[in-house]
Amino acid sequence: MTTAPASTPRIRYPRAQCEVSVALCTLNGGLWIEQLLQSLAAQELLPDEVVVQDDCSEDNTVELINRFAASAPFLVRVEINDHRLGSTANFAEALARCHGRFIALADQDDVWYPIKLRRLIDELKLDPTVTMAFSDADLIGEDSQLLGQRLWDTRLVGRTLRRRAVVPEELFARRALTTGCTMAVRRRAVAASLPFPEVLENTETPMRHDRWLSLVAAAVGTVRALPEPLLAFRVHPDQETGVLVGTQLTHALARATTAVFTAPVGSSNESHLARAEQLEAAAERANEMGDFEEAQTLTTIADHHRNRIQGPGPVTDRLRNIAEGVRAGAYGWDWLGIAAVAGDVLRSVRPGHRPSALHKST
Amino acid sequence: MQKKLNVMIVTDSLQVGGAEQVAVDIANSLNRDTHQVYFCATRTDGLLRSSLKDDVQVMVLERSATWDLLKLLSFGRYVRQQEIDVLHTHGRGTMKFVSLCKALGLINARHVFHDHFGRLHLDRSAGRGLKLPLQHGVDAYIGVESRLCRWAIDTVGLSPSKVNLVRSGVDLERFSSAPPINLRREFDLGEGNLVLLMVANFRPQKDHPTLFRAIAELSRTEQEGLRLVVCGSTTADPSYFQGCQDMLQRLKIDHLVRTIGVRNDAPSLMAGADAGVFSSKNESGPLVILEYMASKLPFVATETGEIAHAVKDAGVGILTEPRDYLALADALSELLQMTLKQRTEMGARGHQLVVEEFEQHVVVRQIEAIYLQLLGPRNSNGLITAVAT
Repeated sequence: MTTAPASTPRIRYPRAQCEVSVALCTLNGGLWIEQLLQSLAAQELLPDEVVVQDDCSEDNTVELINRFAASAPFLVRVEINDHRLGSTANFAEALARCHGRFIALADQDDVWYPIKLRRLIDELKLDPTVTMAFSDADLIGEDSQLLGQRLWDTRLVGRTLRRRAVVPEELFARRALTTGCTMAVRRRAVAASLPFPEVLENTETPMRHDRWLSLVAAAVGTVRALPEPLLAFRVHPDQETGVLVGTQLTHALARATTAVFTAPVGSSNESHLARAEQLEAAAERANEMGDFEEAQTLTTIADHHRNRIQGPGPVTDRLRNIAEGVRAGAYGWDWLGIAAVAGDVLRSVRPGHRPSALHKST
Repeated sequence: MQKKLNVMIVTDSLQVGGAEQVAVDIANSLNRDTHQVYFCATRTDGLLRSSLKDDVQVMVLERSATWDLLKLLSFGRYVRQQEIDVLHTHGRGTMKFVSLCKALGLINARHVFHDHFGRLHLDRSAGRGLKLPLQHGVDAYIGVESRLCRWAIDTVGLSPSKVNLVRSGVDLERFSSAPPINLRREFDLGEGNLVLLMVANFRPQKDHPTLFRAIAELSRTEQEGLRLVVCGSTTADPSYFQGCQDMLQRLKIDHLVRTIGVRNDAPSLMAGADAGVFSSKNESGPLVILEYMASKLPFVATETGEIAHAVKDAGVGILTEPRDYLALADALSELLQMTLKQRTEMGARGHQLVVEEFEQHVVVRQIEAIYLQLLGPRNSNGLITAVAT
């Protein structure tokens, strides 16, 4: 087999050089990193390599990792960024350095149960069309004690995910369903997701690395949700992933409802435009990989976001636009869809619909 | 009273497809001393009709839905008039139609359902709309792969005694008598290259893009050493077909590929090809691998389905993981490097394996045994002595 292909598709990736990689991103994680590393070393199925990408930690994180690496039962490859990238770009760097056929993502503050890697990798090996498998997680506090709650339930996705063995791309397109530390991904999906497009870093509506990865994985293959908790997910004030427990959830819902009445109409429009561009980027990747049907599904949802951008015209036009979206089923028929319709209706009757550069450009 | 067993093979259509071909092969190869064979396409006629033997009585129902009352009545009347003993359905829509017919009391024949479902990786569910007809309308279940049989027992709840694993077979007569078509001349492919044939309708499941990306991955020299002929319906999923065409241009390999649409002379095309190729994502069979082997073709294929798993260690083809275009490129490269003698030997090994394990008569004897088990004892000539209904 030659190494010089005659024509070069845009999405290409080097061949896998080992079976399982773990991509671990770190930033000032000295407090909990040792617990995570010990849990990686205790896996029933050990990874071949752990690829660490440190985002300029100012504490002893890297020192602790290097100490662990000296006696780890697998290869640990550490790279430190020369300037801080942020978690999404940092994961892009880590994923690009992974050599495995299968790649599991790790957060610095969790504790993996010994069966985690074996269970996820078995699921990927069982069916070559599966591009990603992810699980639920038990929540633990800063003191490592169980909080008695599951991750999926705190994100209000438990019922949705337990009903489905296969999670379709439209669900990932509509909302963030999972977090990276619960996932293992086939190389094909990682390749399709890299490089991460710039539109992910939108300041109004960013798309985190794990949502992007799961969206692309679902578009270029099949994603399976495993309802058993395979790790302990730590809840603490410094974490980036939004997990809401107890009254935090009620307050967040209240804030979201208030924002419908108070946030400028323009910010909602910018948010829809950003989401449309992100979904179009994922559709483009699916198209490149030959998953045309899935690309079309994502494009349709992106079009819906563009349609939800509210213009300065009469309120009747805006309401008619919403009604058409409902009739076409574009909002979806779950509680999230109903909430989106309600939000759009409220926004459409609010004052403040002035012509804007954004609306003209779309 | 002694009589032949009246068997009606029932499919959705007679259009070219793997499940339909299996149905036609069974209809043609049931033992004529003991069986009278009927064939019903409940929706549409198609090219495969010409492949049916002359003694098979064919009916095309043109139903529009499962609940097509007039067609249900008409089907029930025909089944009663012809005194059909066994209805052997292929495809879940057809199974539901026949189960409904039974539930309405329009027919009293035994119902054998032959499941070829190839999307189990996406849909393992069994809602009431599927469970009820399977549990109450089907007397024997045939799965073409073990995963389907497990699903029927574990998810649907069928009794294991009702569930039978019968791998698909191939009617060797169709291939031994097929005159080869000179593909190079017919499709203007030039000389001095290896002509690969892929027989697969343009549907997403068949994953042509992975094959195209694999070809794009080859070196210029390797690319010039091969030509690909793709035979299969281009209208089954027009947007997928268009996506494939666009991809060929984007990858700049469109000059290497000829798309020839659906044909009813696939055995002759195979006889004229140098090798077969098949890149499907997920299959329950796939029958086409057996057809390549019956045509003595070496092949490169993705390892999916009961047949691919069964032949993977037999050295009759090069198998790769589905969706992995780099692995498929390696396999194509390996095929291109083989000598004519090596390719011929590989094709001969495949043919021998088909004769020994997948020949249609071997498979159809298993099916006849299932009919017999349903209907009770026969006399020493294999004729029914008592029809249990």
